[in-house]
Amino acid sequence: MNQALLLGRRALRETLRTPESLAPTLLIPLFFLIVNVGQAGKIFPASSTGFLKGQSYAAFQLPSSLLLAASFGTAALYLVEDIEGGYFDKLRAAPIGRTALVVGRLFAEAVKSVILTAVLILISLPFGIRVASGIFGFLLLLVLASAWAVTYAGFMQLIALKTRSAAATNSGSLLFFPLLFLTPNFVPRSLLTRPMEIAATFNPVTYIMEGLRSLILGADATVVARGFAVVLGLGAVMVILNVRAVRSYD
Amino acid sequence: MTLAIEAVGLVKTFPSKGGDVEAVRGVDLAVEQGEVFGFLGPNGAGKTTTVRMLTTLLSITSGVARVAGVDVASDPDAVRRKIGVALQEAGLDPRQTGRELVTLQAQLFGLAPAAARDRAQSLLELVDLVDAGDRRIKGYSGGMKRRLDLASALVHQPDVLFLDEPTTGLDPASRLTVWDEVRRINAEGTSVFLTTQYLEEADQLCDRLAIIDGGRIVLEGTPASLKASLRRRRGLDHDPTLDEVFLEATGRTRIRAAGDVEQVQA
Ligand SMILES: Nc1ncnc2c1ncn2[C@@H]1O[C@H](COP(=O)(O)OP(=O)(O)OP(=O)(O)O)[C@@H](O)[C@H]1O
Ligand SMILES: [Mg+2]
Repeated sequence: MNQALLLGRRALRETLRTPESLAPTLLIPLFFLIVNVGQAGKIFPASSTGFLKGQSYAAFQLPSSLLLAASFGTAALYLVEDIEGGYFDKLRAAPIGRTALVVGRLFAEAVKSVILTAVLILISLPFGIRVASGIFGFLLLLVLASAWAVTYAGFMQLIALKTRSAAATNSGSLLFFPLLFLTPNFVPRSLLTRPMEIAATFNPVTYIMEGLRSLILGADATVVARGFAVVLGLGAVMVILNVRAVRSYD
Repeated sequence: MTLAIEAVGLVKTFPSKGGDVEAVRGVDLAVEQGEVFGFLGPNGAGKTTTVRMLTTLLSITSGVARVAGVDVASDPDAVRRKIGVALQEAGLDPRQTGRELVTLQAQLFGLAPAAARDRAQSLLELVDLVDAGDRRIKGYSGGMKRRLDLASALVHQPDVLFLDEPTTGLDPASRLTVWDEVRRINAEGTSVFLTTQYLEEADQLCDRLAIIDGGRIVLEGTPASLKASLRRRRGLDHDPTLDEVFLEATGRTRIRAAGDVEQVQA
């Protein structure tokens, strides 16, 4: 555990020393929030759109942006650098628990994502967004979004460990397109076309998005719990696969 | 007394498309505690592969290896606690400072933060990197990186130190620094397993050495005994150099043609 924290601190230091890699994770989600709300906001007026529960369309869109911010998986690219530069071998030759070896970066990812999510929510408050579930709900938002960030980074790390290639790891990140867009990101699931609805139903991100949304628009405990269950389940699978990959790493 | 390194029938086969690559084909090693053992061989002979197996970085296809008395395959973590490793490609993190890297390494080996900082300071002094210690590693020269890598392999005063070509690419002064350091570490009781391309280095540093070629050990002994034996066989009236021993053992002889030195397969 202590070793994971030490490695996590190193990963955070690494992030702080490459602020240029942080800027897109903040700016791109904001860009999408502004563009999506700007283009579709008029179709869904707060007063007459039931699923908005009295809030603006921006409130409905915010979860997509939070998930986008949490789906960059930069941790894995640093891991590829460690692998290519040989530092990963130095760590592997040290008596570090194999779990700590992969969890360290995920721990840093969680911290980074909590901060990023908080900043994004604070920035979007002037758009007329309220977190209907209050301060506790706000904290749950941070946890849920960063749990997804950790899960996604875990998936990217898995590709990095298996391929040891920056190009392959970058390609793997393209999976975020179907994951983030085969979701009810513009309208609730019930309003999607049938094929999209089916796709969204099979997409785990749908449930995380609905959980986030429920926390913002008015909490439905079942929906929130489902979001947590999905992300924690997937996250656990990713950590297990990562540890297995590092154990059999040759 | 347990051996520092003991290997019996060590084999490594890499699966590859054009048929398996047999990088190491049955290496036996017996390195005594307190020895500096040299591992020599031409490019691609299997030196790095052997080191990586002994340091738990690579799985062992067959054979048995024990380092500091511990079986590498069955208890890798115990081995890791007893060894220091500086690999052929100095594995460093460009975004940390030298001091941060060594301190982190010390903490990962279980030192408390304050003790780790002290250890880092004394190791930086040792490898002459105190002034550069607070700069990012990105800006270090090749020689500085090698010295830092060596320092980070010493945080826990290992029983056995593995150095894969520790002086490749170093200028003569840095090379001497590393040699002094290896001697000093060895004098404190650490056994050293070192690969090198420099025969003079082996001659200067190593108590015993083995020459590996094509994945097999072809010659083993003290530098003096290897030279004496070649001298006897050739009936020379002077001791041959270790270069000549090496070239003979690896089946390569030198012929001088028009002032050039050529290597040909014997
Ligand atoms: N991961 C790998 N996959 C396939 N073949 C490999 C791998 N690593 C090493 N080899 C092969 O194994 C053989 C031994 O390589 P090794 O790196 O151990 O040689 P070396 O003695 O350290 O050489 P050098 O002096 O150039 O460092 C070479 O033929 C090499 O191509
Ligand atoms: Mg090598």
